[in-house]
Amino acid sequence: MSPELEAEIAALLADPPADPPADPPADPLQVIAEGMIVPAAHHHALATLLKAHGYGLYVTVAASHWPQEKASRKEPNPPPERFEVATVLRNPTAPGAPAFWWSVHLAPAEAIDSIVDLFAGADWQEREQWDLVGVVFANHPNLKRLMLPEDWQGHPLRKDYAIDTPHAPWR
Amino acid sequence: MTVASNASNSFIMSLPSPVPEILTHPVGHGLVMGTIILTFFMLISAWSIWFERRFAGRMQSRVGPNVVGPAGLLQPIADAIKLLRKENLVPSGADKVLFWLSPPMTLFFTLATLAVIPLSEDLLVAELDIGLLWVLAFSGLLLFPTWIAGWASNNKYTLFASMRAVAQGISYEIPLLFSAIVPVVVVGSLSISDIVRYQGEHGWLLFWPLGPGALGFLIFFVASLAEANRIPFDVPEAESELVAGVTVEYSGMMYGLFPMTEYVHTLITSALASALFLGGWYGPFGWAPGVHWMVGKTLFLFFVIFWARWSLVRFRSDQLMRLCWVWLVPLSLLCVCGAALWVVYVGGVA
Amino acid sequence: MSTDHASTHVVTPWTALTPPPRVDPYVDLSEFEADGDLMVLNLGPQHPSTHGVFRIKLVLDGEVIVKAVGYPGYLHRGVEKLCEKLTFANITPILDKNDYLAPMTSEQCFNMALEKIAGVEVPRRGRWIRTLLAELQRIASHLIAIGTFAMDIGGAIGGGTNLFMWTFRERELILNAFEELTGSRFHYNTSCFGGQRHDLPAGWDLGVIKALDQIERRMVEYADFGTANPIFVNRCRGIGVLGRDLALELGLSGPLGRASGIDHDLRRDAPYHCYDELQINVPVLTAGDCEARYDIRVQEVRESIRLSRQLLAGVPEGPICSEKPNIGPTSVRVKGAPAYVAIEGPRGELGTFLIPTDKGTQPYRMKIRPPSLHAVAVVEHLLPGNNLSDAVAILGSLDPIMGEVDR
Repeated sequence: MSPELEAEIAALLADPPADPPADPPADPLQVIAEGMIVPAAHHHALATLLKAHGYGLYVTVAASHWPQEKASRKEPNPPPERFEVATVLRNPTAPGAPAFWWSVHLAPAEAIDSIVDLFAGADWQEREQWDLVGVVFANHPNLKRLMLPEDWQGHPLRKDYAIDTPHAPWR
Repeated sequence: MTVASNASNSFIMSLPSPVPEILTHPVGHGLVMGTIILTFFMLISAWSIWFERRFAGRMQSRVGPNVVGPAGLLQPIADAIKLLRKENLVPSGADKVLFWLSPPMTLFFTLATLAVIPLSEDLLVAELDIGLLWVLAFSGLLLFPTWIAGWASNNKYTLFASMRAVAQGISYEIPLLFSAIVPVVVVGSLSISDIVRYQGEHGWLLFWPLGPGALGFLIFFVASLAEANRIPFDVPEAESELVAGVTVEYSGMMYGLFPMTEYVHTLITSALASALFLGGWYGPFGWAPGVHWMVGKTLFLFFVIFWARWSLVRFRSDQLMRLCWVWLVPLSLLCVCGAALWVVYVGGVA
Repeated sequence: MSTDHASTHVVTPWTALTPPPRVDPYVDLSEFEADGDLMVLNLGPQHPSTHGVFRIKLVLDGEVIVKAVGYPGYLHRGVEKLCEKLTFANITPILDKNDYLAPMTSEQCFNMALEKIAGVEVPRRGRWIRTLLAELQRIASHLIAIGTFAMDIGGAIGGGTNLFMWTFRERELILNAFEELTGSRFHYNTSCFGGQRHDLPAGWDLGVIKALDQIERRMVEYADFGTANPIFVNRCRGIGVLGRDLALELGLSGPLGRASGIDHDLRRDAPYHCYDELQINVPVLTAGDCEARYDIRVQEVRESIRLSRQLLAGVPEGPICSEKPNIGPTSVRVKGAPAYVAIEGPRGELGTFLIPTDKGTQPYRMKIRPPSLHAVAVVEHLLPGNNLSDAVAILGSLDPIMGEVDR
């Protein structure tokens, strides 16, 4: 990743988000690196910026669910329940074809902006994440279940999904 | 060998005496010859399925059916028994009458054409003056049971298949007819036996008249491949798109009639092509005529059809239409014109 | 008959091509329905040409497709959820079942993610063997892709099946070599944390070289089956043109992307294994149609044969695994930050996004990035405007593996 692009990303993240989240990450201006945490409001803008700078190959999106853990001596105030959505883009033409991924932390009811308008391939990937993990993608044109039947209850890849839930008529 | 007259049973006179009494009666003659020819065609097409499967197996570096009987020779019987024992299912939304009607209709129209196919001078059911017309009319009628089967099954895939079959059948009927007219123009008769006898005297129509004959044979062969729905023209069946064409909803022997008649139809087509263009029961270089020549030529053309089937991929439906209307129809018209000019300026009308 | 396949093609640079028009996959059909002249046809899930259980709802106007909606998920087995319940040592054999035509790359990708998080270096011989196996796997997988595509065009009962059977015969040689190496024809479980589980048996390379010779000889025929057959060419040329920008947006980076003019191959651009020691020629075509997708696989098989020969000639000495062999389910412990690792599978970029648990014995969340899922997502963009026969050809040229799409 070129220094110019890093500077642009830093400038983008320095802008106060239009709708600041209640619990912003501690340091939005952390080092620009793989896996950096980006505020949800900047997600779409960051994807736009990266696409304009050659990161045009849509790779994947991976959401994960992090329920609130019990308070322990080590961590008396555990972080609240959240979702993490990692988005991976790749620049196929730059030397080394670097992939870049960033993470967006979401509160349980919060939605993340869909990037289907930038990357047509995000359509099915975001649908899959919604289907399996339950992250809502705002402005998605067709947010339906992809893998599971349309009348399926619950999202299996959430950590609070009871794995023994009966599902008539399948099980 | 002279051209025999058009008298309806003159060939009986050429039989060595004493002629069995039953053969002199038109009905008895029809029954005996019909049995012989029907048995011949049905057996050949049944075992041609075995042959085709073995042949395809060799082409694809595998074995093919080899378990039932010596070298798998009893496979057609096993297939028939399997099909006969299966239940004939009728889909709930189907038009039951038409659904049941279609397979027998297919069989009837196919076998009806056998009436005028001559295997040799004597070995034929009836020598009709309009024999060629009879064959082409009945093979044209074969479209109806196909279309009825597709429509009555109440299935979208069969509907597609039947519509494609009708479009393809109607289109390819035209070059088929025009190329079949070439021998008619040259010989001046619609009787298949007359056409063959003419070739015995003047040489095969494939070679003479040179241009229209060979081209006409080619067009006739290609168009009859399309009529019989063989690859590369099997767009109405197209397993990879339409699953099994019009036969998707059929089961048991109701299904079995379709491929069976398809093989018989292909065999009849080969027989017709060899009678019209390849000299029928006459051998090359004036060798002694006989039924073996006709059978040999028919089986060779039949084999070529298999060969093409297992070597080529299929057309798309619009490419198929394009081939027909852009190439085959004008070329077959040219053939007819060429044959007519040849008759007027070179051959002289018989 | 041409033996030098690449020379017969004039490749127009993608910048000189006008991208094909994009279709709207969410097109509103209400204006049509009043007429009642549209027909809905379900292609699949039980259909001979969907390469498994994939369903496409086609809205047809006559035989022309107006709208296509894909429905994967009929083979969804919950692999990602299952992996969260298993330990790292248990996961590799599960991943063999994902892409059942190229299991070798699936398990390599996962183990590379573990090694990246743990910071473990694989010894050179281990990496070399992985490279070799990946290339052989690519040949085997592409052979099936070529054969099934011919079958989709030529029919299950017809000439196309010839190529299908022949390519299966050649793939058998590679499966035999894998069986000799790992004891298994399909689910190898040969890649493990830190290297390889099985070392090359003595004399194994001679058999593989013989197999490669045979495959290379036959590839001439297979290429000609496509390029020397006018019916075949008519069915493929200009059908299902995938533009470069759409391919990028959909994340198609493998043979599909390279057939559309994306000059990108992870083996060359971001070398892993031992690819940095090899000179890799990446074939790139720009037509983006079914023919280009067929040709690119033929060319990649040739390149892989060349690389495999080179790899077989210089297998280095040394250990094949830097870790102790797995002795129990919890013997593999991996702690660290989440990582995304990608390799060039036969169908494109195969990735693993892995978050290990705090204990370091299990994945907390594992996301497999399947190239086939991105490939089948193309149908909604490529099918509209084509007719039904082309739909089958396009789907066949994408070469999707449903086990990988649905996981």
